[in-house]
Amino acid sequence: MSQTAKFTIGMRDAFFTELFEIFARDPNCVFITADNGAPSLDRFGDELPDQFFTVGIAEQQCIGMACGMAYEGRKVYTYAIAPFISLRAYEQQKIDVCAMNLPIVSIGVGRGYAYDIMGPTHHTVEDITIMRALPNLTIHNPADGVAAGALAEISYRDASPQYIRFDRAGIEDLYAGMDVSFEDGLIEIAHGEDLCIIATGVMVHNALKVRERLTEKGLKVGVIDLHRLKPINRDLLFEKLSGVSNVCTVEEHLLAGGMGSSIAELFIDECVSTPTLRIGQDDRFAFDMGGREQIWKTYGLDVDGITARIERWMGK
Amino acid sequence: MPDSSLLKPSATETAQLSEDTFKFLAIEANWVRRKVVDMAVYAKSGHVTSAFSQTELLVALYMGGIMRHRPEEPHWADRDRFIISKGQGGIGLYAVLGKCGYFPMAELDNFCGVGSHLSVHVEAGVPGIEVHSGSLGHGLPISTGIAQQGKLAGNDWLVFCLLGDAELYEGSNWEAATYAVSAELGNLVCVVDRNQQGVLGFSDKIESKRDGPRTESLDDKFAAFGFEVRRFNGHDFSQIFDAFSDVRTRRSNRPLALIADTIKGCGSSLMANKRFWHYRVPKDDDLDGLRAELEAQRKALCGE
Repeated sequence: MSQTAKFTIGMRDAFFTELFEIFARDPNCVFITADNGAPSLDRFGDELPDQFFTVGIAEQQCIGMACGMAYEGRKVYTYAIAPFISLRAYEQQKIDVCAMNLPIVSIGVGRGYAYDIMGPTHHTVEDITIMRALPNLTIHNPADGVAAGALAEISYRDASPQYIRFDRAGIEDLYAGMDVSFEDGLIEIAHGEDLCIIATGVMVHNALKVRERLTEKGLKVGVIDLHRLKPINRDLLFEKLSGVSNVCTVEEHLLAGGMGSSIAELFIDECVSTPTLRIGQDDRFAFDMGGREQIWKTYGLDVDGITARIERWMGK
Repeated sequence: MPDSSLLKPSATETAQLSEDTFKFLAIEANWVRRKVVDMAVYAKSGHVTSAFSQTELLVALYMGGIMRHRPEEPHWADRDRFIISKGQGGIGLYAVLGKCGYFPMAELDNFCGVGSHLSVHVEAGVPGIEVHSGSLGHGLPISTGIAQQGKLAGNDWLVFCLLGDAELYEGSNWEAATYAVSAELGNLVCVVDRNQQGVLGFSDKIESKRDGPRTESLDDKFAAFGFEVRRFNGHDFSQIFDAFSDVRTRRSNRPLALIADTIKGCGSSLMANKRFWHYRVPKDDDLDGLRAELEAQRKALCGE
């Protein structure tokens, strides 16, 4: 596929722009923010004040209140910085949202190391692990603004509890101008028999660059964008992996229980014996300054690090 | 026995409150306590003392006509919403709901048993139970969402949230309190079961290392957040009805905090105001003594 190296507005703005149109036509939708904003969010409060609520920096209240409103029939979107809407309010997510099985969409912004220099308080590299443990929950982790924008309609139509992870700022478009569907939960961006890299979120971008490197060395490398982390579209995934010799998962997240773990669990349960490597953050906090790419470099999540790791693993 | 038609929900808003009514309700409360004991013995589980603490409050709300509800139509759109945030009080709430007719009384006799819908901590899906509860500090945030929606829609139903006082150690309650006052949720009625005990010990009687941090003055705390605060004896029907008298007619944007001073284990000389009994079911001589005591209370109330 061709890559258009243009920056869009942020993922969340792509999403909110689409979501605003949905809110305007369906007054049953409400939005609750825990004191988190976005340029595209201002319109909600200004133009649809009866559908927009601010609870302050109080994520437990945000999710508990969402439960109350959804219980009374509203479609509720909640919004906060990712670690706080997931980890901080985790028990509310478990009981008030998932066990109640209510139509609540929780939007976390600043996934992975997006809040790089903010430190581990703002890093969100544990949320996939804990959120995917919750029954009834659907988890979306789009790779670009196009996918994020499409999620507005997808999340609106889906009555199940949902958790959406966004980057903090602009991210390169992968799918601009392309005719792709985000309904299936994953997209095979490239196919290759020697190795398939299953990546999610921002790491899809790194995976495509790793693919270029490895292709130059003669390997046939595929890339799958696993943008829906739960439920995983198992049948489609196995169809795409058919005939592939090696699998590597790449995520900007802790290895413990992350996307790679979910793939490994799937492989074990389905007796898939394809050699599989998981790449992600090891058992460490990242106190490192210097920015997100520096963190990637330090922990082997940059293009050089991922490429070298795969080459060693494949004995190249 | 007083005329039970006094207690039908449809008639209650104009019910004449009298000593006879209070006596009738006291008999119901005694029945609830005895049923709670039976249920706990059957399940070998259940928070008996927590249930005894809240008994008069629930009997007044459900059987004394304070709340607007239809047992035969649990999801009636115009019902008052009752959120039991102290989910461990489920055993006592079930007894009240069963007596009101929300589900067959036989359900009570299989509390926590195979095929039962009644677990120790309440679960949505049981007729009369709105949301899951049991993890403390959830009910008030949820209640603000329900009350917010009720206010937006211009509905006249109220949201009653029953909080345990030891639950108020959970910070999420105060996140919700901040919102409730700011959003002017005058349709929210917080009822605090103020028995001054948690699991291990007392909250405001620092005698043992097992006693919790001090919590008074609860009145001042709620008032400082902006609640309208009332405090009363939560076992005295006269005081309970006074405290709730105008909840439906008042025209205020301030949420209510009704702090009911109660006794954990009220009704039992064995368990009342004692450490130790939070999650214990009496047995052997203790059980016999408790049953005899509750039966004696029944006979006294009925003039037998």
